[in-house]
Amino acid sequence: IQPPEKPLQSEEWNSLRESFSSPEIFEEVMLNSMVKCNSPVDVAKSLLTHVAKSHGDIAYSLLIKYLALCVQQGKTSEILDVYDIMKIRFKILESGAYNLLIRGLSNSDQWRMALTLLEEIKKIMIPSRTSYELCIKAASRHQEMNLAFELYHEMLDKNLAPTLDVMQAFFDFSRGMKGAELQKELFGILFYLRDNQIYPHKTFMQSIKLWFESIPGENWRGHQTNIKDSGKCPVCNHQLEDSSLTEEEYNNLRERIIRDVIHGTDTFRKTSPQEFEAFQTFVENRLPFDIVIDGLNVSHMQLRQTQCENLFNAVNCLAKGNARLLVLGRKHMLTNSSNWRKDLMKEMQDKADFFFAENISEDDTFLLYATLRSGKHCKFVTRDFLRDHKACLSDSGTRHLFRKWQRGHQIAFYSSAEGKHINFLMFLPLFIQQPALRYDCVVQTTGDTWHIPYKNIFEEKYSYQIPRKWLCIQQK
Amino acid sequence: MQSVNTLLKKVVRSSVFPFTAQHGMKKDFFPLGRTLSLSFFMKQDDSCSPSEKIDLDGWKKVMKSGLQEVNETVSEHKELSSLARAREILEMWRLAGRSVPENITEEQLKAFIECPSKSAQKKYLKFLYLKELYKKNDRRKMIEKRERRLEEQEQDSKPDGTRRNSFIYFQNNSMDKAYNWRVAQSMIFGQSLVFDMSYEKDMSIREVTNTVRQIVLSESINRKSMDPFHIHFCNLKEDSLYQKEFIKHYREAWDRLLVTATDQCYTEVFPKDKLIYLTADSPKVMKTFDHDKIYIIGSMVDKSIKTGVSLARAKRLGLETAALPLEKYLLWNSGAKNLTLDQMMHILLTLKDTGDWRKALEFVPKRKYISFVNKPVHELKKTLNLINTLKLGKRQEEIQKQFAKSYSK
Repeated sequence: IQPPEKPLQSEEWNSLRESFSSPEIFEEVMLNSMVKCNSPVDVAKSLLTHVAKSHGDIAYSLLIKYLALCVQQGKTSEILDVYDIMKIRFKILESGAYNLLIRGLSNSDQWRMALTLLEEIKKIMIPSRTSYELCIKAASRHQEMNLAFELYHEMLDKNLAPTLDVMQAFFDFSRGMKGAELQKELFGILFYLRDNQIYPHKTFMQSIKLWFESIPGENWRGHQTNIKDSGKCPVCNHQLEDSSLTEEEYNNLRERIIRDVIHGTDTFRKTSPQEFEAFQTFVENRLPFDIVIDGLNVSHMQLRQTQCENLFNAVNCLAKGNARLLVLGRKHMLTNSSNWRKDLMKEMQDKADFFFAENISEDDTFLLYATLRSGKHCKFVTRDFLRDHKACLSDSGTRHLFRKWQRGHQIAFYSSAEGKHINFLMFLPLFIQQPALRYDCVVQTTGDTWHIPYKNIFEEKYSYQIPRKWLCIQQK
Repeated sequence: MQSVNTLLKKVVRSSVFPFTAQHGMKKDFFPLGRTLSLSFFMKQDDSCSPSEKIDLDGWKKVMKSGLQEVNETVSEHKELSSLARAREILEMWRLAGRSVPENITEEQLKAFIECPSKSAQKKYLKFLYLKELYKKNDRRKMIEKRERRLEEQEQDSKPDGTRRNSFIYFQNNSMDKAYNWRVAQSMIFGQSLVFDMSYEKDMSIREVTNTVRQIVLSESINRKSMDPFHIHFCNLKEDSLYQKEFIKHYREAWDRLLVTATDQCYTEVFPKDKLIYLTADSPKVMKTFDHDKIYIIGSMVDKSIKTGVSLARAKRLGLETAALPLEKYLLWNSGAKNLTLDQMMHILLTLKDTGDWRKALEFVPKRKYISFVNKPVHELKKTLNLINTLKLGKRQEEIQKQFAKSYSK
């Protein structure tokens, strides 16, 4: 329904109400559409007056909707009035009202009131992330950085993940300010990005750059750049961090993979104890491998070719240069069929080691184990993103380790003509190898340089893709 | 006219209860007041804006007045226990129009507080809210029904005595006796069917409750069938959650139930080579229903995705497994291939009686499949491939035609 443009008298509201199909929810629907149409507050007021006259009371849900309208239009004094009324009328308020109040007040000159409201919420529940962020923004807008950071840390302590937006606000409002403490806090945010493998977007990147360049007396300069495959920054010639894990991280990851992914709650779910033991002895006797191949995954690369031929091509392609290969497969690959030819299989088995798992076992887990057991130099080949295995890991720290290791060690195969021109599939496929990255794609520093990967806002970014663009900041 | 209006306005403004004042004034002193102050059109003709006519902040006065007494009691409520506070928050959420139950027990409140996250709390509240709603509706319907029956009785009571009938009415009681007789027979001579009750640790409390409800349903379906199974509850531990839920459902009838409940494993009760574990994850597809085998159904409701739990159990015990041939007979649409326990019971009973897969698979929920398939498996595979190509969006019309051709019959 269309809300009226001017305040109405009670009688007029009554007639409107009667013409409405379900009069019992008339006021709610009307206020909702007022919020949607951004009607003048006076109209809403006249409706509330009408309700108050006829019922002697106004329901909480209506008050909240009126509050939403006031917040939307930034009517601070009205917001305060509504708050007063609510406080008199109700013992406590619920989260929705508090969120609205904080949103309304944090943008006004009454922003300190928002902070007291935040304290009030804490007494009854954990405040929402938005409430915190609104307060933080209000505080930093008024240059109260200490207060803002206090709230920020409090928020992190409560396991609320901050949005990029609020982090950007810190950089925006600290521009040109000096202070060792402040600098430490902002570096702390950059380390938070690093630890959680978060990539800032372009405008956030600009804020970081401007902040660095604005620090008085420190002479930072920022440049946008692309990092070469070698991992060298073209601007400052600095070599980026290696993608390999430390010895401790590596061992930790390997143990966690065995415990959480392979065994999990029940070893029988993915394999069986006998089979896993057999595989372990198989691997131990032939260590170390250079490349471990997920046979079935690779065999599905080209639909126009049989699975056997696909695998054959891949093995031939990778066997150059005396690399020690391990191909993982399932037992059904050994039965002679149209898809799996015995002669080709035989030829491949001369070039690489093969392990065939039971048909109902998961070969991916073997892939992970064999690669991790072979050592840091070993890579693996599959197009699978291994998300389900990552999900088996129980804590986010290990998941990040897994991602990092995966980025450095996974080789994905794509046939050159895939998807685009069906005709080209007739030709012999040329494999394009997506190489494992040699450098680690996270925010990193050496003290006098910072390298920050960022993403374009408009560019689609999947979780497995990593940004190719970097911000290089160095101190002259 | 102007002056009368301004006078009226002043009086209205100074009054504490503007609306009553306005009303009273009009009636008593200004016989023409109605046309003067309330005509909408006239107000618009006036130079002053309408907002001055209506006391816009009148509602604030109403809200603030008469609540002074309440205000005093508020301050006493400063220190509250966490339970009481949660109760108040819930009440406020309810007032704000969220899906929150009206009444909540102490136990439910505790469960609410113990929810690990805000979304878990929300979900739990919604569950309680819906439960309350259903209950209310049921009660309302029951009352309506009772009233209707009373009315009918009143009407019936007038022409009395004509309803003599030589047939004996079948009472529920005697039906029950007949059913129980059949089940008792099947307990001696019938084919066994095992419910594996060893998944308690894999489920949440809600899932266990749902499981037991499904088993209760299955048991009643079985009892009412022509040729029932002999149901075994294996691995059912004393004092387990399953057991508690069963007793909640059956009350004292639990001890009289014509099933075999044991804490032994089925491998101890039956010879291993006779057992077949039914699980949707099984690589083997069931072809026919074997009357000499003992089928095992895992008593598990799996709301979170835990694939391969029952397959792992069968693997550990070295049992044969089988899955229903859903893909062979049905063109699957959406939804998981695991069926509820009562659907499994329906299907197995029908297979046992008729051996007809088509008839049996009628019990698969309609939303999960598009249609029955008249063609053999390799044809179906072709369709699946076709659907996949369709998803890629190439040569759509052509493929659609082909699709229509192969499935028109």
